Amino acid sequence: MSSTSTHAEVTAVDTAGRWPVLLLLASGLGWLVISGICALIASIQLHSPTFMSACEWFTHGRVSALAETSFVYGWAANAGLGIALWVLGRLGGSTLRAQNWSMIGTLFWNLGITLGLGGIATGDATSFALLELPRYVQPLLVVAYIAIGISGILAWSGRRTEGTYASHWYAVAALFLFPWLLIAAQTMLLWSPVRGVLQPIIDGWYVQSVFSLWLAPLALAGAYYVVPKITGQALPSYEFAPLAFWTLLFVGTMTGGRHLIGGPVPAWIPTLANAACWMVLFHYIVVTLNLRGALTGGGTSLAFISFGLLAYLAGAVLDAVTSFRGVALVTQFTYFTTAQQQLALYGGISMLLFGSIYFALPRLTGRPWNSGSFVRSHKVLAMVGIFLLVGSLAVAGLIQGTELSNATTTFGEIAGRTRPWLLAVSVAQVLLLIGNILMLVNFLRSVCVLCCSGAASEAGSFRQPTTMEVHAS
Amino acid sequence: MMKNGFFFFIGLLAAFLLGWSSIPLLAHKQLGALTPFYDDGESSSFPTRPPGVAARGQLVYADLGCVACHTQQVRRPDFGSDKARGWGDRQSVARDYIFQGRPQLGESRIGPDLANWGVRKPPLDAAAIAQFLFSGVVSGAKAVSHPPFPFLFDDRPVDGEVAADALVGLAEKTPRRQIVPTERARTLIAYLQSLNNAYEYPEARHVAPAVAKEGAPK
Amino acid sequence: MSTPLHQDPRLDQAASTDESLLAAHDKLLGKQPDEKGRYKLPPLHLLFFFSGLIFFAGTYLNRYSGMFDPRVYNENTLPPSGETVVAKLDPLVLGKKQYDAICITCHQANGLGLPGAFPPLAASEWVSGSDDRLIRLVVYGMTGPMTVKGVLYSAAPMPTIGKVANSQYNLSDDKVAAVLTYIRHEWGNTGAPITTDQVAAVRSKEGDRKPYVEAELLKLN
Repeated sequence: MSSTSTHAEVTAVDTAGRWPVLLLLASGLGWLVISGICALIASIQLHSPTFMSACEWFTHGRVSALAETSFVYGWAANAGLGIALWVLGRLGGSTLRAQNWSMIGTLFWNLGITLGLGGIATGDATSFALLELPRYVQPLLVVAYIAIGISGILAWSGRRTEGTYASHWYAVAALFLFPWLLIAAQTMLLWSPVRGVLQPIIDGWYVQSVFSLWLAPLALAGAYYVVPKITGQALPSYEFAPLAFWTLLFVGTMTGGRHLIGGPVPAWIPTLANAACWMVLFHYIVVTLNLRGALTGGGTSLAFISFGLLAYLAGAVLDAVTSFRGVALVTQFTYFTTAQQQLALYGGISMLLFGSIYFALPRLTGRPWNSGSFVRSHKVLAMVGIFLLVGSLAVAGLIQGTELSNATTTFGEIAGRTRPWLLAVSVAQVLLLIGNILMLVNFLRSVCVLCCSGAASEAGSFRQPTTMEVHAS
Repeated sequence: MMKNGFFFFIGLLAAFLLGWSSIPLLAHKQLGALTPFYDDGESSSFPTRPPGVAARGQLVYADLGCVACHTQQVRRPDFGSDKARGWGDRQSVARDYIFQGRPQLGESRIGPDLANWGVRKPPLDAAAIAQFLFSGVVSGAKAVSHPPFPFLFDDRPVDGEVAADALVGLAEKTPRRQIVPTERARTLIAYLQSLNNAYEYPEARHVAPAVAKEGAPK
Repeated sequence: MSTPLHQDPRLDQAASTDESLLAAHDKLLGKQPDEKGRYKLPPLHLLFFFSGLIFFAGTYLNRYSGMFDPRVYNENTLPPSGETVVAKLDPLVLGKKQYDAICITCHQANGLGLPGAFPPLAASEWVSGSDDRLIRLVVYGMTGPMTVKGVLYSAAPMPTIGKVANSQYNLSDDKVAAVLTYIRHEWGNTGAPITTDQVAAVRSKEGDRKPYVEAELLKLN
């Protein structure tokens, strides 16, 4: 409210609609730290199996489920929704509506996650990948999500301009699609479970859809907005953005079955997934071409987004390559698949979200981030940490896969050979955890200044943006 | 399509429905009504329903998250070392799982595959499995190879007779106390002992045509 | 105001306004003509690339889908043609199963029976002798005393095994054939295998009848 319209970069659209977004972002960063702690415990257990295993709450299975669930539903969901609402509000050109709905929805969403994580720790986990949250919190999540999403949908339908932009498509797709997905998966897996091997098939579809129809669109909504805002250039090859968008939506979900290669499912399920893995590459290539301006730009946000963009592309290429059965023969069932998952979720989605958050927060608070050195440290720690995490996991996975295919190697020997790399994974988790704590502290301090001193905005530090020109491509 | 909200919404719906019907729905149509296979020679049908105690044990297996490190799916003999490692002579097929409340296929082999663990060679009896779950040490070995799960056991004073299933090897150290598997441990052990996919279905035979039925054991 | 772009890690400056961002990209989607009144053709190389991916994916799907048949687990094979052919069981395996389930109680695992109570099968002239006699003995059973290897047995009747009236076991013809083949193969016996057709022929010839006595069977050869 303290900002004035003389500084067009920070307007009432941001300041009057800041609290729902700040609440979502703060919850997300909080869960990220909690997830980091769980991931650290889980990674230590991989090289020291007795670590905390005497405590039933922290068996490796449960603590991995806690790490994964708090990462996806705690961090990525909250942060992604925060960014999506903010971007939709800005592109809509008016203050977010239904803010109370959104804030109450956020509170209940996080209440549901908290209860659910407690349930997983105490033995109510469903044992479905990415759907580990116990049955009793699942309906709450659907309702809470819809409440959060209303603001975004209203901002989209009430936008001032007739045309839409790529960020619109991705954000609105994520808002609409996730509740459908969650309801379909819950119904078929938890409420009226299908029989036998159909459960893992449907869970595989759900896991992939969570990535392709929800997390990736949320992260891309932010990236598509931030990149041209900073570079001031219209996106190259933007004519293909709609086709890339629909390719992801229509083909992306079909790639889930690749984890079932050689498994007890009819051959067409992994085959369809493998074919889809190659087709969906079109989406990744076009997104990379569209956002390639980020790679040349400087600044905090673009550094994160560049990293995220390359990781997003690399993850898809690795998925396509390992979808060949000859390659999967080695990489399947090993740390290599974990490496791919971390590359996509941490390197891709999280880094894109970090980049968007670093751009968004100053606009929401009306002043720069509290500490520049924290920002720089987080950037270094996150990049080094992800390199180390994904690299070590990949090497450990290749060793594990090679040794597994040699029937005379015992599991003890495999553990011994992968141990140095698993130690490196723990180091990477420590780096990432420190970096994320720095970001959380920096975030809270930046927001606290807003609450405490209130009035004095530093609107003067924002440059006046100019009009974007379309260059002939 | 991008500008018109209604058509955009229809597009989203179509994308969701196509993905949903191309995998979950089609797979359900094909596999949802799989029946057990009646073998005239054996005069019984396969797979057999797991005993109730094993079905409860699967819930313990699921809630401890064992699936994070163990798969329960065997790949076909010419695809990977599954057969050579003694995890199963044939590819696992959909029919193996029709009576399992929550199949634990798994995606990670930090530990061995367990699809046929109930008929593993050499076999482990319930007492040996209990010992293993408690200490994480395979009998005879020195190093810990599995995280120990002491919370599945009761450490309690000997009241009258020592319980029949109390862990052996601890009595000399603390003669007044005994370590007894809890109900959860007993069901988990029964579940592990029930894991057996040895029967060859026609569709599994089709995969490995060279392997004769039953292999004429001597 | 004068901070150079990207100097401050705490704040990334925006170069363009939201309105112009929307307008510029809306224009790029190419539905309206540009300044010179021409519609832009999208670059062809990406379209070629997309078609290439579709072609590859389609070929792969066609090659490895097993015609979308739920019975195909190996992507290199095609669905089995026609009815599922259940592989024929080895009669020795099937026979052993039947023997272990039924005959073993009296005739014992070693085929020697119990002296004084149940006759042996090992080296028995009844087992290695006439096919017809052996089949009838097992399918219909036998009452009264009988002599095996010179020893008289009268403790218990031979039960009715085959799929005939008043049978205690109702074994199908192929199982009877299998178990007979089995006992002719074990314990040093070396008789010819009995086929399912032989058993079926006997059953259709004799119909439902009561168990034999020794004299009736000895008439056959």
